[in-house]
Amino acid sequence: STSSVLSTDKDKSAASKDSTPEGASKSLKDGAETPKQQLLDIIGNMKVEVSYRKKLQQLKSSESKKQVLNKLEGPDSEGSVPQGTTEDTQRGKPLNPELVKAASAVASSLPRNKKQTESELLAQLRRHEETTDKQKKGGTINIRNVISEMTVKRQTPAQRSGRISGRISLQLDEDGQRIRPERSSAQSIDSRRYFCFVHFQSLKVGKRLNIFTKTSTEPEHALKTVSSPTIWDLEFAKEVAAVTAQPPRNGFEEMIQWTKEGILWEFPIDNEVGMEDDAEFHEHIFLEKHLEGFPKEGPIRHFMELVICGLSKNPYLSVKQKVEHIEWFQKYFEEKKELLQEI
Amino acid sequence: MAAAALCWALRAARQVLPSPCPRQVRSYYVDWRMLRDVKRRKTAYEYADERLRINAIRKNSILPRELQEVADKEIAALPRDSCPVRIRNRCVLTSRPRGVKRRWRLSRIVFRHFADHAQMSGVQRAMW
Repeated sequence: STSSVLSTDKDKSAASKDSTPEGASKSLKDGAETPKQQLLDIIGNMKVEVSYRKKLQQLKSSESKKQVLNKLEGPDSEGSVPQGTTEDTQRGKPLNPELVKAASAVASSLPRNKKQTESELLAQLRRHEETTDKQKKGGTINIRNVISEMTVKRQTPAQRSGRISGRISLQLDEDGQRIRPERSSAQSIDSRRYFCFVHFQSLKVGKRLNIFTKTSTEPEHALKTVSSPTIWDLEFAKEVAAVTAQPPRNGFEEMIQWTKEGILWEFPIDNEVGMEDDAEFHEHIFLEKHLEGFPKEGPIRHFMELVICGLSKNPYLSVKQKVEHIEWFQKYFEEKKELLQEI
Repeated sequence: MAAAALCWALRAARQVLPSPCPRQVRSYYVDWRMLRDVKRRKTAYEYADERLRINAIRKNSILPRELQEVADKEIAALPRDSCPVRIRNRCVLTSRPRGVKRRWRLSRIVFRHFADHAQMSGVQRAMW
C-alpha cells in the first residue's frame, strides 16, 4: 500500500535530514492523482497566511522523527496527545478558526494518528504566530546572531513549488552548521525551516558586524593651485595621448576612431545632426514684424515684401540667418537714404 | 607684401595636423594652381551672402535704376576672387583642370587607376 511505501521512505531518509524535504516533495508529487493530493491542493490554494504544504512536509519529517522516538519511548507518545490539547488551551493567543478547521481537515486526510497530527499542526501554527509577533516586536533570535537582518517572506504555494531547490540548498547551508547538536528538538527544526526562505532586507540597516574598519573618506583635494594648465601639462597630456593611442586592431576599432574624429557618420544616420533649429514654424513664415524699419509705401517696401515671401519659403536657413538678411537690407537702404531722397 | 603673401601661402600649403595620425597624410597642396583655387573658394564662401543680396538689388525691376547702378559699382568693388565663377573643379589628387568627374572629384586617369586596383567602392569595369 501507499502508506507503507511512504513509511519505508521516511525511515530510509530519516538518517539524513537533508533528503527528507526532497523525499517529501517527491512523494507529494508522485501522489498527484490521489484524492488526498487533490484535497491538499485545495487547502494549499486557500488564501491563508501560512502555506500548508510546508506544514505537511514538516509534519512528515517530524513524524519520521517521532517514529524513531516512539520506538524508544513507547508509552510517552500517548501522553503527549493530552499534553498537546492542554497546550492548545493554555496558549493565550487564540488561533484563527479557519486555520483550525483547515488543520483538522488536513489531519483527517492523513493516514497517521489524526489527533496527534492535528495537535502538531496547531502547535506549529501557534509557534508560527509567536515568532511572527516576535519579529514584529523586533526581538532578535538567538540562532540568528550572525545574520542580523532577516525578515520572513510569505510565499504562495505556486512560488514555493518553484523554489524548492533553492530552499533545499539553504537548508543544507544552515544544517551543515547546526544540525548535529540540535537534531532532536522539533522546535528548532521548525524554526530553522521556517527561516528557510528569508531574504535580506537591506545591507546598511541594522546592527554592525564590525568585520571591516571604516575608512575615513577624506574630501578630495580638488582645489588646484594653478588655475589654467601650463604648457608643460599640455605637452605631457599630448605625449600620453600619443603613446596610449594604439593603432586599431581591427576594422571595428578603426571605425570607432573615425567616428570619434568625425570622418564617419553615426549610425543610424540622423539627418538633423548639427542643425538645431528651436524656432517654431510661425517664426519662419510670418516675418512681417521685421519690416518695421522700412517705409510703408514705395518700391522699397514692395521689394522687401518679395524678399520676405522668398525667405518664408526657404527651409534651409535658420530664423537667425533670415533676420540677419533683412537687417542687412535695412542697413543698406539707410546708407543709401540720401540717394533715394534725390530720386 | 610679397613676403606676407608667401608666409600666408606657406601656412596654407602646410597642413599641420595636431595629433599624430598613422594614415598617409598629404601635408602640401599638389601645386600652386590648386592653392589659388583653394583661396578663391575661401573668399567666395566669405562673400557669398553679400554678393547674393547685392545681386538681388541689381536684378530687379521694382527698385529705381539709380540704386541698381550703385549696386553694380559696389559688387565690382568686391575682391575678384570672391566670385564663384572663378572656381575650377580640379582633380583633388593631381590638380588636373580637365576630365574631372564631379562625384569623385578625381581626374579620369586617377579614377581609372584606383578603379583598376579595386580601391573604388562600387565601381566595376563595364561590360555589356
